[in-house]
Amino acid sequence: MSEPKQTDNDRVLIIPCSGIGKAFGSVGREAAYLVLEELRPDDTATVCLSLLTMGDEESQQRVREQRSIAIDGCPKACARVNIEHAGAEPAAIFRVFDVFRAHKELRVKQVSDIGENGREMARILAEEVAVKVDELRGGKE
Amino acid sequence: MEATYRHATVDKFVFKVKTGCWYSEAGLWVQLEHSLARVGVSDYVQQSSGDVAFAEITSAGTELEREGYLGQIETIKVAIDLPSPVSGTVQEINEELDASPELINQDPYGQGWLALIALNDWEADRANLLEAEQYLAVMRSQAEEAAKKL
Amino acid sequence: MPDLPEKKVGLIACSGEDLAVGTVSRMAVLQVLERLRPQETVTLCLPLFLAGEERERAFARFYPTIAIDGCSKRCAARATEKYSAQPAASLVIDDLIAQKGLPEPHGLRQLDAAGQAVAQAVANALAQEVDRLLGHKQPADIEVEAEGPGSEVEPEGLVVATCACGSGIPVAQLQVNGHQVEALALPAILDQFREMGKLANNATAGELMDAVKLYNHVPDDEAAAWHEAVLREYARTITAAGPAGNAD
Repeated sequence: MSEPKQTDNDRVLIIPCSGIGKAFGSVGREAAYLVLEELRPDDTATVCLSLLTMGDEESQQRVREQRSIAIDGCPKACARVNIEHAGAEPAAIFRVFDVFRAHKELRVKQVSDIGENGREMARILAEEVAVKVDELRGGKE
Repeated sequence: MEATYRHATVDKFVFKVKTGCWYSEAGLWVQLEHSLARVGVSDYVQQSSGDVAFAEITSAGTELEREGYLGQIETIKVAIDLPSPVSGTVQEINEELDASPELINQDPYGQGWLALIALNDWEADRANLLEAEQYLAVMRSQAEEAAKKL
Repeated sequence: MPDLPEKKVGLIACSGEDLAVGTVSRMAVLQVLERLRPQETVTLCLPLFLAGEERERAFARFYPTIAIDGCSKRCAARATEKYSAQPAASLVIDDLIAQKGLPEPHGLRQLDAAGQAVAQAVANALAQEVDRLLGHKQPADIEVEAEGPGSEVEPEGLVVATCACGSGIPVAQLQVNGHQVEALALPAILDQFREMGKLANNATAGELMDAVKLYNHVPDDEAAAWHEAVLREYARTITAAGPAGNAD
């Protein structure tokens, strides 16, 4: 049976919206995994956003006790809103949209396969998130 | 009087058309405010275009012909030129759209307005515009054509 | 009939970020939306049940919905029931893996080969369930096999799936017996009646209620209060908009 990663309270939670209706939801999810698995694997963890939506007490407590970074794919801002509903405030909010506004040559159309443009956008975003993680952890690399 | 809307459904989408406005076939709406016309894009245009990332509207003071270049909206999918539905002089543009282009998606008939134009010849412009009920039918055809291509 | 979105099957995936089966749920649903049943299905981001508006929470009340969950926490099924309506069907990928002896998936960002095979198998099962809910086919049982990609005939071309959250199912709020209720499809129903030029009277209210009950559960002991509230709302919209043919 699948098991979630072990975490300690000092890790920064990276919570993407993972929106399934829009390509930027997939880009945000990709960016989150780049941070979690490649850029800052020892400093970060995640929580299934669906657990927050459902009102899972254990997950809500985690976002209240640990710092979190929300990554949202559209103006509905599901990651941010669900974290706030859990009684917490994200330490930082990133919007995939803002990366697109700075790099509008990177058009992404498909949700299931974000292509080279989407991966490039995800990497740019992931690096910005990683810098924020360092800041939150007090400059620890 | 509160705003009222007609609705048209195509496939899984519901599109709103605000009554009391005039419309160009390109999907720009015109709301008369005495001798001025407030303009914007219809709900169908914003839904079919996608999330707006940039809205570039021609500056205040610009003289416009009907069908002349009013501006451009750029979404995550496409860039769309906006032909002006009326002729006149741009008095004011919606500067909120610089920081919040998503207003066009969230409230296309309200806070997502694009420009306020002092009209040159409303009678001539009106002859080339559609009433809400007429635009509803035109928009439905456009949406059905677009749905076939998906 | 009122002008409402076409009846499709709604798919809600948990998309759980912390487990490989969450990624499997997401990829399986996307396969169905984009390749296997693009004309028959629609989706909604699960977190929108909380972050969105009433028209998003109306999703499972309007569309017969299949919840696709990665693990036994069943976030998709439980959140759909909590905020919207009980799903018409529910599938838990961990349970299917155990029951059918499917390979254990791995990978969050990229599913491994086993994960892709499970996603394909789940997608095929989902497609059959979509057919069943729409009355297209009546399979005796839904079999899930660990087959490779392309094991079901796919339509030509790829459809870029879109969600249902942009358009919204029309919902109106009514005051009934001193409390607020949501009336699904009411704006479209009222539109239709206005177009037909129906007067705001008791006879029309009866017809309105027949239409309202197609989309909403009206408790017997509240039927009279609903009747009054719907008629009141209809009269209000006529006054606001004018009768049909009078564009303001």
